[in-house]
Amino acid sequence: MDAKVRVIEIIAGVCEVTPEEITLESTIGDFPTWDSIGHLTILSQVEEAFNINFDPEEMMDLEDVSDIIKAVEEKL
Amino acid sequence: MLVEERIFENAKLFPKKLAIIAGSAEVTYLELVHRILLAAKYYENSGLQKGDRVVVSASKCVDFVYAYFGAHIAGLICVPIDSETNPVRLQRIEDCAAPKLFVGELRNKGERNVIPFAEVSAEEEAEIKMPRPSDIADILFTTGTTGLPKGVSLSFFNQQAAAEHINAFVGNTADDVELLALPISHSFGLGRLRCVLSKGATIALLSSFASMKKFYAGLDLYNVTGFSMVPSSWNYIQKMSGAKLANYASRLKYIEIGSAFMPEAEKRKLMEMLPTTRICMHYGLTEASRSAFMSFHDDEAHLMSIGKSSPGRKIAIFSEKGEEVANGQEGELCVAGDHVCSAYWGQSEADFRKDFFGEFFRTGDWGYIDNDGYIYLKSRIKEIINVGGKKVSPVEVEEVLNAMDGITESACIGVKDDVMGEIVKAFIVGTLTETDDEAIKKYVMAHIENYKVPAIIEHIAELPKTTSGKLQRLMLK
Repeated sequence: MDAKVRVIEIIAGVCEVTPEEITLESTIGDFPTWDSIGHLTILSQVEEAFNINFDPEEMMDLEDVSDIIKAVEEKL
Repeated sequence: MLVEERIFENAKLFPKKLAIIAGSAEVTYLELVHRILLAAKYYENSGLQKGDRVVVSASKCVDFVYAYFGAHIAGLICVPIDSETNPVRLQRIEDCAAPKLFVGELRNKGERNVIPFAEVSAEEEAEIKMPRPSDIADILFTTGTTGLPKGVSLSFFNQQAAAEHINAFVGNTADDVELLALPISHSFGLGRLRCVLSKGATIALLSSFASMKKFYAGLDLYNVTGFSMVPSSWNYIQKMSGAKLANYASRLKYIEIGSAFMPEAEKRKLMEMLPTTRICMHYGLTEASRSAFMSFHDDEAHLMSIGKSSPGRKIAIFSEKGEEVANGQEGELCVAGDHVCSAYWGQSEADFRKDFFGEFFRTGDWGYIDNDGYIYLKSRIKEIINVGGKKVSPVEVEEVLNAMDGITESACIGVKDDVMGEIVKAFIVGTLTETDDEAIKKYVMAHIENYKVPAIIEHIAELPKTTSGKLQRLMLK
């Protein structure tokens, strides 16, 4: 499964929506559950799913779906 | 002077001054009172009478501010609730408060007719009629440990007393610009709004701390002098942005931190990053907002206390028999002062008074006062779980769990978590096993908010109970 599909699946799960409702531009605050708790959950699930770690310095830049996919792909 | 009177006074003194910034919207004090009066007129035109309740979704937008203060000027009692309030809680709030109107955006509105904010306006302004200090301004519903939310009734005088006191301790002035990223459906965030506007300062509304980019952009763009947060916000700021906050040390005059456990090491980290900022932490509850205060830099030798009782407020320690105990002895923290709530909505005065020892309101927290007057909390008797600043009633989660096939009964507690402060742990009795844990979480997720879903599940043979059968959650800690 490619990174994009898996990341979108994770985000959709946390946001309680279907993957079809998530676009590359979807970002923090677009869904009620994508708040700070939701954001941390997304990032930690992504870290776990791909067995990677985000540094604090790069975390601040991970705000929308495309940011997260790009960061994952760079680490794979 | 009431908070509302001060806002109108500010509009006379400096009409063109910015009161609120929310995204691209900038509202002066003059515009603010104009819009408040239009909202008040809407309520009047709708036939609402003095003392009627109006449920307003506490969305972080300027329209909420108009609808909220407009209700007060129209003589109504405001019931601010989270726009995400789940259907069961919403029903319970409706049953208790019996509101005449719902305003704003409610995700789980069901069949209710909810008036959008945009419609809460009129062609002309209402006449300015200030409420009486003893009138009830708001009913704030707490996360009750019994499962039933309690409607804390705060009078205009309670709110005035709280705002004046907070502004005095924090040292707010009319020159301040505050960034508000906390939810305003709770006592803390809503209190900040009242504090800033009554002082004639400027408040910039930010939806949440979730986007650190927006948070720092807000600090820069609006020349922010202070903000408020809860300890879990601090964990989040650090995790997402490392030491970046230190770059703002010279311009941040103050930070107010809400009452939840914060480790000493975290307090010291924040102090090092912001060596000249007045970092205030309060202890309070919806029923008695900011009963005690401390300032990290001034009270460095007592960092793990909750500070001293604030001027005009009394905190005393009582034994279980209701007798005040000497310094150093442990007991229940009890609070007296003009900020203590006036009633629980729908409860008789006699029942309300059961939560008091004389004039002292019983907080349900356990602790002691040392010889210097510093108050130390030992534990919360109340069993509310604090997930990243959001309050979770164990009963609410247990009710959902217990309705699931294969679960006989359950008990939920909060367990420490480095980032969230606490997370929910469920103890389950029944025929389900570890292999069902994911299914259990999904089931709970379908019924209540995500943050309330147990992160940890343990299957046990039986739950600890008293001889009379009362669940003893604290035994599970």
